[in-house]
Amino acid sequence: MHSKYLVLGSSHAALEAATAIRFHDMEGTVTVLTRDSRLPYSPTILPYVVSGRAKPDTVVLRDEAWFNENRIAFVPDATVVAVDPAQSSLRLESSKSWTYERLLVATGATPALPPIEGLADFPFHVLRSMDDAIDLKAAIGAAKSAIVLGAGLIGMHAAENMAKAGIEVTVLELQPHALSGYFEPRASTIIEDVFERNGVRMRMGHTLASVDSQGDGCVATLNDGREIAADLLLVCVGVKPNLGFLDGSGVDVESGILVDDNMRTSQPNVWAAGDVAQARGFWGGMVTNGILPNAAEQGRIAGLDMADDSGLAPFPGAVPLNTYSFFGQQAISVGIARADEGCEIAESGDDANGVYRRIVLKDGRLVGITTINDFVDAGIMWRLIRRRTDLTPVKAAFLADPRTTGRKLMSRDWR
Amino acid sequence: MSVAETESRSSNTARSAVCEGNEAAAIGVALARPDVVAVYPITPQSSLVEHLSQMIADGRLDADLLNVEGEHSVLCGLQGAALAGGRTFTATCGPGIAFMFEPYVRTPGLRLPMVASLVTRDMLTPQCVWGGQQDAMVVREAGWIQMHCETVQEILDTTVMAYKIAEHRDVMLPVNVCHDGNYLSFGVTRVEIPDARAAEEFLGPASINWHVALDPARPMGVDPLTGGSGGVGPKTFVRYRKGQCRGMQNALRVIRETHAAWGERFGRYHAPLIEEYRLDDAKYALITIGSMSGAAKDAVDTARAAGEAVGLVRVKTFRPFPVEAMTAALAKVERVGVIDRSVSFGWNAGPVYQETLGALYHTGRPVPAISFIGGLAGADLTAEHFARAIAITRELAWDGRPREPIWLNEND
Amino acid sequence: MGTCFSTLQFRANRCDGCGDCMTACVQAKSSNGDGAQSRIRILPAAAGTGYELALCRQCADPICVMNCPSGALAKNGTSGIVEWEADACVNCLLCTAGCTYAGIVYEADIGHVTKCDLCAGDPACAKACKNGALEYRTEARIFNAYGDKEDLFCRGLSACHGCNSELLIRHTMRVVGPDAVVAAPPGCIPGMGVVGFNGQTGAKVPVFHSLLTNTATMLAGVKKQYDRVGRKVTAIALAGDGGAADAGFQSLSGAAERNDPILFVCVDNEGYMNTGMQSSGVTPYGSWTTTTPVGGAMHGKRTEAKNLPLIMTMHNCSYVATASTAFLEDYYAKLAKAIEAAATGMAYLHVYAPCPTGWRFPSSMTAEVCRMQVRTNFVALWEYDPHNGLQFTHAVDNPEPVENYLKLVGKYRHLSGEQVAHIQRSVDDKLAYLQQLTRADAHRRIA
Repeated sequence: MHSKYLVLGSSHAALEAATAIRFHDMEGTVTVLTRDSRLPYSPTILPYVVSGRAKPDTVVLRDEAWFNENRIAFVPDATVVAVDPAQSSLRLESSKSWTYERLLVATGATPALPPIEGLADFPFHVLRSMDDAIDLKAAIGAAKSAIVLGAGLIGMHAAENMAKAGIEVTVLELQPHALSGYFEPRASTIIEDVFERNGVRMRMGHTLASVDSQGDGCVATLNDGREIAADLLLVCVGVKPNLGFLDGSGVDVESGILVDDNMRTSQPNVWAAGDVAQARGFWGGMVTNGILPNAAEQGRIAGLDMADDSGLAPFPGAVPLNTYSFFGQQAISVGIARADEGCEIAESGDDANGVYRRIVLKDGRLVGITTINDFVDAGIMWRLIRRRTDLTPVKAAFLADPRTTGRKLMSRDWR
Repeated sequence: MSVAETESRSSNTARSAVCEGNEAAAIGVALARPDVVAVYPITPQSSLVEHLSQMIADGRLDADLLNVEGEHSVLCGLQGAALAGGRTFTATCGPGIAFMFEPYVRTPGLRLPMVASLVTRDMLTPQCVWGGQQDAMVVREAGWIQMHCETVQEILDTTVMAYKIAEHRDVMLPVNVCHDGNYLSFGVTRVEIPDARAAEEFLGPASINWHVALDPARPMGVDPLTGGSGGVGPKTFVRYRKGQCRGMQNALRVIRETHAAWGERFGRYHAPLIEEYRLDDAKYALITIGSMSGAAKDAVDTARAAGEAVGLVRVKTFRPFPVEAMTAALAKVERVGVIDRSVSFGWNAGPVYQETLGALYHTGRPVPAISFIGGLAGADLTAEHFARAIAITRELAWDGRPREPIWLNEND
Repeated sequence: MGTCFSTLQFRANRCDGCGDCMTACVQAKSSNGDGAQSRIRILPAAAGTGYELALCRQCADPICVMNCPSGALAKNGTSGIVEWEADACVNCLLCTAGCTYAGIVYEADIGHVTKCDLCAGDPACAKACKNGALEYRTEARIFNAYGDKEDLFCRGLSACHGCNSELLIRHTMRVVGPDAVVAAPPGCIPGMGVVGFNGQTGAKVPVFHSLLTNTATMLAGVKKQYDRVGRKVTAIALAGDGGAADAGFQSLSGAAERNDPILFVCVDNEGYMNTGMQSSGVTPYGSWTTTTPVGGAMHGKRTEAKNLPLIMTMHNCSYVATASTAFLEDYYAKLAKAIEAAATGMAYLHVYAPCPTGWRFPSSMTAEVCRMQVRTNFVALWEYDPHNGLQFTHAVDNPEPVENYLKLVGKYRHLSGEQVAHIQRSVDDKLAYLQQLTRADAHRRIA
């Protein structure tokens, strides 16, 4: 089989790339290969499928009509096992092979599994695919108690869902605080408190030592020796890019596939984008992250470059970003939450009532902002950071009311 | 219409009628089956367009009537119709042609084969409404073909022929069929009217805008700005002007051929360019134009009877000027007197006189000549006037100097 | 070619921060009178220099949609509206991370994001704005309807910088289409190469360099012949004011009296601009031109302009209208009516065409000058047909003083206060007269 453009993966990065290619090249064949057997969906939606807020069949990101309309072939159940850039070809698990002129790897990541004794023998859950979500939802319906290993976004969403379903939930997190990738300790603490108040046992600084199956459930032994019995175990300690199929391909990888600012890999005619890619960080270094807007942007850039669109703007670097709703409350984090040397921090809030704001400035420019129950427009903050907008002239106003001040700045820029 | 049905005299003659010159012109127009007729009244032309309007009103002529607000619009409307492929007609005179002048001078440049009657009238001022050929002479350099008729029958026949001449591919120029206001416009005689189908066959299909058109089916920019001193300007302009002049010269041949064909088909042979009358053995001649020629011929006959070797040349086609034919005719005589119904302010003489001098140059010999001016603003030119002209012409001798013109009606 | 969409236009310099738009939004979007939040937010600018706006721009390539994991957001390809579906939304707020304009925001009171949906094409906020700061612009319809139609003039017509006559004729002929015969009397339109030079033409339709004096009748003749042979052709004049109001008037009047089936477009630049800015019969009082100069004894034109479009209504035209290129939708609506009318009768369009070269204003200001003509009632936009009489199409209820228009235009720079007052009186009088006519016609319609 041959396709001028071959896109591996079917989530945001892959779909944005296919869209961008078609926008620029109306003729070339475009094929999307995915290991999933479903129409494209977003991993981000999975916690909401688990909660029942979203239905598996209503969260399709692109339907068949869209593929037909854009003359893009969609091939599900296609797991790539090897890529040969020298031959511009790849092989599937089914032994079928494909040739391409341009290849995009946007295969995302898979759950990381910690080395826990007995884990392999217990039917634990993960949450990365729709099937995982459906399984987990069913399991929650049957469970009375659960352990959530890992207080990242997936874990916290799941814990909330379980709590709302009346399950006794314990969240274990090796780090001192929940969501430590996005929030600094004070914010995390506010969030943890909300969970505790809603009956979730937050065991921070803990992890599992071993798991023993017992009946339909298990007994989990913590690293401090305590034992917790649970019907259900969800393991969500993070994800890692699946890179095995690139062995021997010559594509350089570290924690992900290394890419330049046009999402090109070390091999000709091979691009990578999204969670699988390790790209420039906004403040330096090469980073992988699981942030949807970054993935979509990278996919867009890769697609434009693959289709030779000279107008593309190179990737300026990933800026961490998160918007998180929990128990009807909102936490927003844009940029870096921790403060480096030379940063100026403005914190305010009412911890008891769960209201919090932390603004981090460097050289008069925004580098990070975190709020809880104090809505700011994440998109505006994100752009203030990326444009390195000098806030000196409006600093007082910004610190007092970042939302309104940000909106004014953007309105003025737009005009 | 005062038509008296009579027995056909030939297969191509439908009937005869007794009518005025203006009506004869209208009958000729109807035989040419124009698409669009534009009308605006002016004495002494008005009855011509009235006749046409009535024919259209009666359904006897299938043409569209354009009732406009002045002569300027008359010609502009017809230009539009012609550029869209329509065969057209109108009539005017004197002040009307002055008002029409702007589009009038443009028509030959557009090579639009229109036909318009010019019912000649003297020009203002003094204010007058009567015949005279000053109007025709004023526009003689506008680029229209001018054929001046002598009789009502000739008006009818020439009007039909004018379409064939105008639309000839080698010509593609507008034609003024001129007849004298009052004398011919309102003079009533018997005419023979050609059979409509025969006239249609004679003319053939209209050929109006194959070369220049306002037609969405073959879009073109008509009359872009042309000329100037740079680029292709000069030669482009010259190409157009020279082509116009060539069309005029071609017209001399086409007019002859058309008149011959008309004679063959309808049995009436009109002089195409000039008419020579008793010229072959003449020692001297009068040159005339238009309706005056009848009385002049009578005077020639009378003089001949008295033993005078006098002849006559009538100019039928004044534009293009038939230089060759005139030169050949003038070669036969030793003195000429030219009678004009208009004046050339520049030459203190008549325009036909002036043109005749031009032709005389080609005879290669000095010929004494004199200009007579008469019949202005409706004044009568009688046999007595021509007898005087003959007597004066006979006595001319070469002295190499210009002569004062003789004003024939000066003492009437 | 893509599709263009209607949009809300915000003119910050006209906003007085009254908040009526926000009130209107809340009222329109509230089902029970409370709980709704305005989706448009007017914000006082930081330095007290006017107002800023937070509102969904209905982006062409919306990042909110790109960021949505649940399929709750989508760009409607027909309306252009970025649509939000409540049932599909999971409240993840990633959309807000995609928006630069605070166009989609979380409202804690109602527990989900909200965004502007343009009230399905009839936005309440714009209707509530007294100052014209918010306007719902629907000109995109023109692009969608006509953008694909062939431009019937060649590229490179040599009009002056900022000339709106070129804009106008290109727009006009796109709509009229190729089954047309164009007549362009001497003036700027042939001057820019529409008919052409030395054997080359600037038009893709039949075009005639008519006379200043004959355009209407000449077209009437063209039309007569095509009607006669049963061919459907639009005969259209693209004339200046000299070829319409002055030397061309007799011919125009005759054609109008006969109701000749032609479309006569008069592009009124208030004088003979092509020959060097001389005065014409429609040059307004006070104007500097090269034949009504400014000196010790003369201060521009001493007499009023004749009101040609109004004169045309006193003939037997099937349709008469005034238009301005700053109000293209208005023009397009009138053009459509005029084309229809011109199939069987005379249609006359009088389009005001400020001339940067001849009127002495910067070429970048043409559209603004056009707008200000209308906003001060120096130019009134109306239409007339024998059945409905005269009707305003863009009545200006709170006109700006005419001085605001005059000061934009160099040819009025010399005006004394007295002259400006004279012009203001004249504008008021003319408007009052038009109003009388519209009232009389309205009365007649009812009767």
